[in-house]
Amino acid sequence: MSWNVGVWIASLLTLAIYSFLYKDNPFYKVAENIFVGVSAGYWAVVLWFDFTWPNLFEPLINRGNVISLIPIIVGLMMFAPLIPKISWLVRIPLTFTMGVAMALVVTQRIQGEIFPQLQATFLPLAGVSPGVLISNLLIIIGVIATLIYFYFSKEHKGVLGFGAKLGIWFMMIAFGASFGYTVMARISLLIGRVYFLLHNWLGII
Amino acid sequence: MKFIDRLEHLDRRIIFLLVGIAVIIPMLIPLGLPVDISKPVKDVYDKVESLSEGSIVVVSADYDPGSEAELYPATEAFLEHCFRRNLRVFMLGLWPAGSNLGNLALEEIAPQYNKVYGLDYINVGYRPGGPVMLVSLGRNVADIVRTDYTGTPIDSFPLGRAVKSARDIDLVMTLSAGDPGVLHWIIYFNARYGTPIACATTAIMAPQQYPYISSGQLIGLLGGLKGAAEYETLVERKARAVAGMDSQSIVHVLLVIFIVIGNIILFSQRRKK
Repeated sequence: MSWNVGVWIASLLTLAIYSFLYKDNPFYKVAENIFVGVSAGYWAVVLWFDFTWPNLFEPLINRGNVISLIPIIVGLMMFAPLIPKISWLVRIPLTFTMGVAMALVVTQRIQGEIFPQLQATFLPLAGVSPGVLISNLLIIIGVIATLIYFYFSKEHKGVLGFGAKLGIWFMMIAFGASFGYTVMARISLLIGRVYFLLHNWLGII
Repeated sequence: MKFIDRLEHLDRRIIFLLVGIAVIIPMLIPLGLPVDISKPVKDVYDKVESLSEGSIVVVSADYDPGSEAELYPATEAFLEHCFRRNLRVFMLGLWPAGSNLGNLALEEIAPQYNKVYGLDYINVGYRPGGPVMLVSLGRNVADIVRTDYTGTPIDSFPLGRAVKSARDIDLVMTLSAGDPGVLHWIIYFNARYGTPIACATTAIMAPQQYPYISSGQLIGLLGGLKGAAEYETLVERKARAVAGMDSQSIVHVLLVIFIVIGNIILFSQRRKK
């Protein structure tokens, strides 16, 4: 059994959280509130020491980088709505943020996601092994059928209706795979905690 | 029918108890069920094997304690493989707690291979900024990284001086639990600089990565604890992930049984109506 105080605290808090599975109780409430409080404190420290200080105040104070005054002033404008007379100032940082984000996201999404993903559907159907042929056909049909399902400009009847139904099937299979992985993820978390209790705390495995 | 009625009103705590037992018993009495290696995991392993000694691998620990159970075993197994192959590791984190968790793994694995901090591996800590940071990092590392996680200037380390831009990086391994993470590395780093990206993700995120494997934007994938167990098997370092696989398999069988029973109850209810 561990003699580490940290391991004991973590273990007892783990058991307190899991006690909720039986029913709501004071131990669970205590653990829950500690978690909320610690998280808030942790993020306050991170926001100051990892974001604000190194990116704004450290260059200004220690290195005399006066350009840092610009983001400080623009950042302060985010608080303008607190004073109704100058509330319009908030538009400046918001517009700037939106402009940068749009420029970065639109260009990179096209270059890094849409084009490569489109290219990945241009697959050979001749001169490949039967296994690869089936796989390529499934990808091509799956993409087309799913896109048909999301085509709303015409009623889903006839060929379009068949394609849309096929699209639903492909999506359902994808959701099933996601659900299976989700179950695996949740059980993995439980395994992680049980391993911690049995190995790090009790030392029996 | 009485039995089905009783099942219908089964106390959910009995299910919790059964799941708990199914996790604990295989840990106490290991069954040693085989761990099959999937292609995406083997591809990551093969890529690391193909790198020449001294190559630089960026390990981005983009997770926090909430995903530690799934991604920490993958971190350890991957670092073990890198150090065994004498690759140099440049660690950072897109999540605040990521690089601290990664550091625990570095402190555990690096001494086993007599690796020297600053020469064979370095940790530059948490790097906020997501997409903007990644684009800048690839162009000029010095714009983003001035110190390591202890605050020591990066120029004072040989490895710190060796990594100037994306051109000096041979592989990026992102251990990703969400946003920012693997998608950002693909879109803002791989697409712009062409650096190969591999990833270990939480199981929930794993299905979303297959289109990127298919398009060649991702080299491979370690999906959840199972992916970590496969990598542990490949590097012959059977540790925490492999230890959890027996429990995982037993619980999955149990859940399938629950789903079948649930459906039987549903159909019997419909028949009644």
